[in-house]
Amino acid sequence: MELGRKVGHFFCLLKRKYVWLFFLAPAVAVLISIVVFPLAFSLILSFYDWNIIRAGGWSWAGINNYRTILFQDPYFRSSFKVTLFYLAGTVSVQFGLGLVVALILDQITRKIIGFLRTVLVLPITMTPVVVGIIWRLMYNPDLGMLNYFLSWLGFSPVNWTGMPGTALPSVMMADIWEWTPFVALILLAGLQSLPREPYEAALVDGASSWQTFCYITFPLLSPAMLVVLLIRVMDSFKTFDLIFVLTQGGPGMSTEILNYYTYRYGFKFFHLGYASALSWVLLVVVTIICMILIRMLQSRGIYAKRT
Amino acid sequence: MMNEVVWVKVKKTILVAMAVVVFVVILFPPMVLFLTSIKTELDALSFPPKWIFQPTLENYEHIFQFSPFMKYLLNSLIVASLNTGAVLILGSLAAYSLARFRFRGADNIAFWILSVRMMPPVAAIIPIYIIMRNLHLLDTPWSLVIIYLTFNLPFAVWLMRSFFREIPREIEESALVDGCSDFSAFRKIALPLAAPGLAATGILTFIFSWNEFLFALILTGSKAVTLPVGITGYMKETGINWGYMTAGGVLALIPVIIFTILVQKHLVKGLTMGAVK
Repeated sequence: MELGRKVGHFFCLLKRKYVWLFFLAPAVAVLISIVVFPLAFSLILSFYDWNIIRAGGWSWAGINNYRTILFQDPYFRSSFKVTLFYLAGTVSVQFGLGLVVALILDQITRKIIGFLRTVLVLPITMTPVVVGIIWRLMYNPDLGMLNYFLSWLGFSPVNWTGMPGTALPSVMMADIWEWTPFVALILLAGLQSLPREPYEAALVDGASSWQTFCYITFPLLSPAMLVVLLIRVMDSFKTFDLIFVLTQGGPGMSTEILNYYTYRYGFKFFHLGYASALSWVLLVVVTIICMILIRMLQSRGIYAKRT
Repeated sequence: MMNEVVWVKVKKTILVAMAVVVFVVILFPPMVLFLTSIKTELDALSFPPKWIFQPTLENYEHIFQFSPFMKYLLNSLIVASLNTGAVLILGSLAAYSLARFRFRGADNIAFWILSVRMMPPVAAIIPIYIIMRNLHLLDTPWSLVIIYLTFNLPFAVWLMRSFFREIPREIEESALVDGCSDFSAFRKIALPLAAPGLAATGILTFIFSWNEFLFALILTGSKAVTLPVGITGYMKETGINWGYMTAGGVLALIPVIIFTILVQKHLVKGLTMGAVK
């Protein structure tokens, strides 16, 4: 009897102390089984040779896959360069254009903000495959709108996605169209939540609008800017749909970013061991870059510990 | 004085003109998609493009009658709805735990969940393909319902956590004092109060599932093909049928556009997972 009550009391305490666990455990268990477990599996697989369509199972390869990727595979190197170029090009242009658009809209939108926002939001939530289709239609050398406009201006038609020189910038332009509104939307929200007092003080002190931007807007907006950068950088590495629809990585390998290269190794050549090693290299690169950005954010109190 | 007034007016006009340019650039490409979808094949292929033509719905009729478009649509609906349901249940519980209870490691767990959202899907797709093959789940909606949790669940946990944090803690505390259990405090008080935020989370989750392409491309083959994969099927080696492809694209966009307008108020918060309001 006495013992029973003690056990009951013990469980009651246990329940009070660990009740958070009952709420949290299902989600964490799901994520472990569909993310951590597969990643561990692919880490193991990356030390093996395994071609799924050839006879024979796994054969131990040690660090050969990684050595080949880092020191011998010329395609990896070209794909790495394409990735960096793509990332730097799209994110910087999106950021610059998005900031300009946000600053413009912040000046004029107050009355018609609902309509303008809706338009701005469209490309962001549109199905990316459909964005790819739209731009494939625009770029079409025979009937596309872009060549039609060029012909107005007296230029000869361009085979946008069909030539190594223009294919990558074409894909990047579609990406910029798709994601500049995202940057603009977030920065516009950031601008509209800024306090008014510093601006009034600057006005009293006779600051020029450029000075106001540099010394007030820019520092106050920097948390929102970093959030935008983080999200764009990590999503940029994932670009797949646009490339699949527009160029399939070609012509040659001119638009093949690491993401696409890994996909092709795994699901076109079926070298699953090598593709796993590639995916781990990609994962490490993404993690390092994102960690740097997140540390910068956390030092400003965003995505950080509870206060 | 006069000059200043004129200058302000000129500045305003320039700003409005620039904004108009931005919106034309955004709206023009989707408009071309829509116009192409209601052209006959002959009109669609004419160059220079025809601006005045007899609109037709034959492309839409054709994809429903002669291609499994209805099946793609149903598959997308099933996958996106079931995934959203699972995300809302698992996500709201976890988000509530991270927002309300104090325990060691809470911040590390939240951060780990965020880092899952950063993972490029390609990094996990090979083992996931092998696992799904061994479980005989390839080419079923279930594989996608499960796998879409990898990106939607972390997103939802972070977003809902920020919504739960906005509810004053005192209401639940007084309920707990009155003898309410933790779970009923969650279900009867926190959940209804956070309902608008949770609805927004659900709608965004639905959109992300609806739009997903890479996993659907690899994990489905014929029976469970979703819309984005189905539409790219109109790109053949022999050429693209622009009428079918654009009609499919327009139909895929309709629910997305409706949902986006519904969720607009929460979109900035949603897209940044609660970091920017």
